[in-house]
Amino acid sequence: MTYVAVKGGTEAIEESIRRIKYERIKHGKTIGVDEIQCGMRSLVDQVMSESSLYSEVLAALSIKQAEGNPEEAVFLMRAYRSTLPRNHYSRTVDTENMNIMRRISASFKDIPGGQILGPTVDYTHRLLDFDLMDESMDEVNTWKMDYESEMMQYLKNGNNSLVDHQGLGDRGIARLPKVIDYLRKEELMIDFADDDHEPDDVTRRSLEFPSSRSQRLQILTRGQTGTVTALGYAIIRGYGALHPTVGELRIGEVPIHVGHPLEETIDEEDTYYIGDICITEAEMLIPQTIELPDGNKEIQFSIGYGACYGQNETKTIAMGILDHALEYSNPHYPTHDEEFVLYHIDSVEATGFISHLKMPHYVTFQSELERMRKTKTKEKGNDA
Amino acid sequence: MNRKKRTEILIRGRHHLAKSFCEQINRTYSVDLLEKPNHSLVMVKMRETAKNTRFYIGEVFVTECKVKIQEKIGIGIVKGNEPELSYYLAVIDAAYCANLPITQLWGSQLEEELQCIRQNQQIKFDQLLKTKVNFETMDEELS
Repeated sequence: MTYVAVKGGTEAIEESIRRIKYERIKHGKTIGVDEIQCGMRSLVDQVMSESSLYSEVLAALSIKQAEGNPEEAVFLMRAYRSTLPRNHYSRTVDTENMNIMRRISASFKDIPGGQILGPTVDYTHRLLDFDLMDESMDEVNTWKMDYESEMMQYLKNGNNSLVDHQGLGDRGIARLPKVIDYLRKEELMIDFADDDHEPDDVTRRSLEFPSSRSQRLQILTRGQTGTVTALGYAIIRGYGALHPTVGELRIGEVPIHVGHPLEETIDEEDTYYIGDICITEAEMLIPQTIELPDGNKEIQFSIGYGACYGQNETKTIAMGILDHALEYSNPHYPTHDEEFVLYHIDSVEATGFISHLKMPHYVTFQSELERMRKTKTKEKGNDA
Repeated sequence: MNRKKRTEILIRGRHHLAKSFCEQINRTYSVDLLEKPNHSLVMVKMRETAKNTRFYIGEVFVTECKVKIQEKIGIGIVKGNEPELSYYLAVIDAAYCANLPITQLWGSQLEEELQCIRQNQQIKFDQLLKTKVNFETMDEELS
């Protein structure tokens, strides 16, 4: 068989690109990047998390360009990211320093600082709100002003943490202790010393198996939301060996600091603060039977850890389940197989490979066709 | 005032403060622009709490700038697309590195701004506490 190079289609491709733009604006309307950023917070968070790039504006722009398709938006973000230099690595972020906007536990009713629901759809009725069809800016502004003045009145009535200062830190903001710290104090959970090894970076060095813990967590946090959730769900349904509970789910902003780029910064007080980023963190409690040195067995809790950019609760919880599943491999379940999970969870890799099937496969297909025809001819010859 | 606290105030606070400090420097001193505001990435390192190891959660898009005042290099780096703020921060950083006398006058304004930031954080958190659950234990039914 010979391979033949072909060309053509340039004009068709150019017209196709014009056509996709036409589809985006054919109704004579355009949506502002700021409107996407303000009104599609969850989608912006999802795109930032999957693209592994924190920028609300760029995520909103990518969503606009992709007409709201997250996989395309993530592709655009990853492509843009590859054009920028990485000049700094942050100091280690510790979520104990988080400015909480939501924090709950499904394991303990009474947690120090309390269960703070924050903004969540968990308790909404999930009925379509047809009032939003005709929502006007006047209505929005009136509601916002009423809400804000009601909040200020609430504080004036003495409802503030200066009075009830449980959990307050010295900087005047809440420093809520971790729920798992109490389990560790009771020795119901193994305590680990800080491991300060530099993490591996899958964007700089390809993944090899067995993977390191830092590689696994990096791939999971940038995994496609639907895939991470589906695999986490599969584990609980029976295609895995875990029965987790949410020890703590916390969402809020954490400060990012970097050292001096030209000289070694030893003093933490000499670092540069560059801004806050929103993170969701889930600590999943999973009971495990541990064999003690004396041969006896006891049950202890271990943690499955999840953390993602933005408010991405389902993904983060599922990440925690997968983290634990991959820590304890089990040949009976693909969800405990690091190669199965880590090689198929990335949005750009998965959608890219599936998408490439649309590209011309003329030679491959013709070759298969040729083989089938030969087989048929041979079979007919044998029959005769 | 140390750099960490200073940059927290200048970025979290009202940006006209950074602009005002920068203008004061520009009026009195010669500022060399070594690297005009440009975009880059910061890789964020996180501590996970299951085994207390570290991993990379992703990158943050930043704007950074470098200037020089009296042979001292100042760096401005801030999350997002903030060319003006990154320049102000670089100039202020260089001013502190060069130990310019004018920086001695800024302390009280920075402290005042810090109070405003804390107050706003406090208000935000207090408002959030309205979503804190107050559990009520129901009476047990005796059979």
